[in-house]
Amino acid sequence: MSAISLENLTKVYATGVTALDRLNLEVGEGEFVVLVGPSGCGKTTALRMVAGLETITSGTVRFGDQVVNGVSPRQRDVAMVFQNYALYPHLTVAENIGFALTNKKVPKEERERRVSEAATALGLSSMLNRKPAQLSGGQRQRVAMGRAIVREPSVFLMDEPLSNLDAKLRVQMRSEILRVHQTIGAATLYVTHDQVEAMTMGDRVAVLHDGVVMQYAAPRELYNRPANLFVAGFIGSPEMNLHEASVSEAELVLGSQRLPLGPAGTVLAPYRGRKVIVGVRPEDLELGRATEKPAGTATLTADVRVVEVLGSESHAFFSIDAPAAGQGVLAAAVGEAEGDLPAASAHNGVARLDPRAGVRSGQRVTFGVDPARLHFFDPDTGGAIR
Amino acid sequence: MSERRRLERLAERDAAIPVELYGLKRGTVSVLTACCVLFAVFTLIPLVWVIINSTKTQANIFESFGFWFASPFEFFHTFANLFRDIDGDGTYSRWFLNTVLYSAVGGGGATVLAALGGYGFARFKFTGSRLFFGTVIAGLLVPITLVAVPLYLVYAKVHLINSIWGMILPSMVSPIGLYLMRTYVQLSIPSELTDAARIDGASEIRIFFKIALPLMVPGLMTVLLLSVVGTWNNYILPLIIFSNNTLYPATVGMGLWSQHATTSGDANLYPLLVLGGLVTIIPMIALFALLQRYWRSGLLLGSVAN
Amino acid sequence: MSNTALVKTAAPRKAAPRRSAYARRRGRSGLAFVTPFMLIFTLFMIVPLAYAIDQSLYTTKLIGGTSFSGFANYTAVLQSGPFWSGVIRVVIFGAIQIPVMLAIAAFFATIFDLGVAKGGRVFRAIYFVPFAVPIVVSALMWGFLFDPMYGPFNRFMNAIGFHNFDWMSSALMLPTIIIIAIWEWTGYNCIILYTALKSVPRDVVEAAILDDTPLWKIVLRIKLPMVRPALIMLVFINMIGAMQLFVEPTILNNYSPGVITNTWTPVIDIYSTSISDGEYQLGAAMAVVLAIIIVAISVVSLAFRNRRREFG
Repeated sequence: MSAISLENLTKVYATGVTALDRLNLEVGEGEFVVLVGPSGCGKTTALRMVAGLETITSGTVRFGDQVVNGVSPRQRDVAMVFQNYALYPHLTVAENIGFALTNKKVPKEERERRVSEAATALGLSSMLNRKPAQLSGGQRQRVAMGRAIVREPSVFLMDEPLSNLDAKLRVQMRSEILRVHQTIGAATLYVTHDQVEAMTMGDRVAVLHDGVVMQYAAPRELYNRPANLFVAGFIGSPEMNLHEASVSEAELVLGSQRLPLGPAGTVLAPYRGRKVIVGVRPEDLELGRATEKPAGTATLTADVRVVEVLGSESHAFFSIDAPAAGQGVLAAAVGEAEGDLPAASAHNGVARLDPRAGVRSGQRVTFGVDPARLHFFDPDTGGAIR
Repeated sequence: MSERRRLERLAERDAAIPVELYGLKRGTVSVLTACCVLFAVFTLIPLVWVIINSTKTQANIFESFGFWFASPFEFFHTFANLFRDIDGDGTYSRWFLNTVLYSAVGGGGATVLAALGGYGFARFKFTGSRLFFGTVIAGLLVPITLVAVPLYLVYAKVHLINSIWGMILPSMVSPIGLYLMRTYVQLSIPSELTDAARIDGASEIRIFFKIALPLMVPGLMTVLLLSVVGTWNNYILPLIIFSNNTLYPATVGMGLWSQHATTSGDANLYPLLVLGGLVTIIPMIALFALLQRYWRSGLLLGSVAN
Repeated sequence: MSNTALVKTAAPRKAAPRRSAYARRRGRSGLAFVTPFMLIFTLFMIVPLAYAIDQSLYTTKLIGGTSFSGFANYTAVLQSGPFWSGVIRVVIFGAIQIPVMLAIAAFFATIFDLGVAKGGRVFRAIYFVPFAVPIVVSALMWGFLFDPMYGPFNRFMNAIGFHNFDWMSSALMLPTIIIIAIWEWTGYNCIILYTALKSVPRDVVEAAILDDTPLWKIVLRIKLPMVRPALIMLVFINMIGAMQLFVEPTILNNYSPGVITNTWTPVIDIYSTSISDGEYQLGAAMAVVLAIIIVAISVVSLAFRNRRREFG
């Protein structure tokens, strides 16, 4: 039995906008589940419906086996960390953290003990008498967490708690949050638009798009076996290269190049003579592989346009003569309207390379790729071809 | 209701916290709505009374039931009397026109001055700017009589007694208007905008008229409304500086009638007072209704910007 | 010695910050923008003010003309029993009217903000109407209603057995004016508080709901404290207005002659001294004293507010 389960959850606003369409999801006891997706995909709406702050148009929310649709958020034993922290500005840190306890008429001694425990756990002990205005963003975020954990809730909700922090702080706080989660052990639903947070923090991750779950699986599964174009383009940075191709007997026709597929191509049998979309992760395009050529390697020749040197790796932006695919999906994945991406980008693919390879812009290079690491998608449905 | 307004209203309702979440006991909503009704009745009593009794004769005002009509229906007769000089104190219609003149010119002028000054204080640094602004704000604390009475004496020296400018010019001084405009400029016109325009070589005047002013419109409407209402309702200043009753605004004129109504007791002044009061109110209510969208945000500024 | 001299002259002197010509030119533009306002402000506020303060130091007698009398006028004012009873009267007026009115305004503003009554929009529009009514007209209307002989309210009191009830007798005049002032100002205060309450971030209230905070606590301990600046501003504005009570008593006097004396409120006192009695120098001193009292009350309440801040 899951700690939280959402069944066919739908939300339609009075203005007619559908935010969620029959969402199905469940979170196990003590599990840390991340809801990730671009802005407007409905993830925050779903979270708020679990909290009880948003009315449910249709569908069920269950905690354990109890339906909580009609239960007021006050009684759901849910704690939430808000994106802007929602601290009470005129109360001190100690009063903020202990506020829920005063409502429940917890005796003063016990309340103070629990507040100071939470404060110590989060490194706030020296600031208990300050007001939120005197704290930095990271400190406020921790106060918001303290306020949530002191209640020892059975369900923990977080709405993009790290998006207002700068990059370095975010990395630090990610591990803080996980550490807190391990201590508390409550089922947690975490919402973010940042796929890095999703991948590093979640036990399981649900990728949302326009109110629909695109895939719900462990991070590794999302990365290695994306169920559709959207997940493929959304998860992973730099994004997966996606191109239009067509299938002939045992080969993939990619622009003017033909890639032998070997056993990996059997899954494409129904698509002989038709178009598919092929995806390859930037790190699966290897220069070394092209020269060593282990059995079954397919090669891809490309013109390098721009090289970004990051120190630990280089990103080589190249172009091939096959059209980049799924522009609409890709655009949605990065949150841009279709057509807003630079038209006819000089490059339509990117590869992750060892910086010592010395690839330069203007070069023509040949990548080697293991056909087993190619991903195929149906061009009409966007679904993965397995 | 237009489609856009309907969607706006729905969006507003979506944006508000649903009432159920407050955990109210049953019946609380009814009780609270009843309270609202009670206060609404309290608010409307004088207005209803005025509307009804503006149709009555003086005798009926005194004798008939206050909150319902009585024959004869004298409305039009009384209305016609507003255009006559009934008891030698002057003509209401003249007073009304004066009020309109003072409010329009004074209020309009106040808005212009506040707009220019607010922009100047908000976007420029110059020696004395803080001192000047502080002095203006301090002016809010000054009681009206400390200014009105000596103003009268100063006027006596410069022959401004019984001049419309003696009324209009002081009405153009609105410390609260300046404060509101300055705040509005600070909040709504990002300095990057004006900086960019300066870099592009535009003159300050062009920047003000082409860039700043269009963005200042809601604030301008609020200040305009407040200044017009303030001048429309002003009683003390015109009372002191005018001795010629053809220059009185409606407020002073009716004050005079009110005095005479009780002392002379005749001349059917009461119906005139009632109807005159009604006529004085209507334009202001109409103005508020028309400019609703603007002054709502302006009031927010005043409360938040502290 | 020559070494240190060399060192001294070699060390660069810290240049005093000078505004660039560009900055100064821009500053002059700023000055140009504020000049119209400042000019009219100076002519029509500062000049009369200065003139009043100046005149307050003189006395004009029938015999002897105008002569410098220093603080003589001020002494007369400060020693004037009627003046001070007028001051006390408006202080009492403010002390009762302002809290009551603000409480009512806050009550309804909260109701509207929470949305716990139906038809909030309509009510808000109705409550705001009195703000559009000139005080003279409002005093006239209420005067009619409260009129001791013919007003409906008195007839009502007669009907339920209180004969010869006079709303505008000396004893009841102030409470009656308080009622009128509440009528005039509650709507305006209510709208301002409502707008301020609406700007309280929604997620703070949602956090309180998740913490199972009862509604009264949300209102009193979270929302209202967060609109403190608006409340304080309103107290100031209302206080300044209350201290200058003039129009309502003056108009109501016509319905109930004799109740309002020439010194009923400080501003009435100033007016009658300056205009009716023609003693404008004494009146000027009175006005200055009133201004000082107003400033003193403002300062005291500011200090009080800051002290309360320490306790959160």
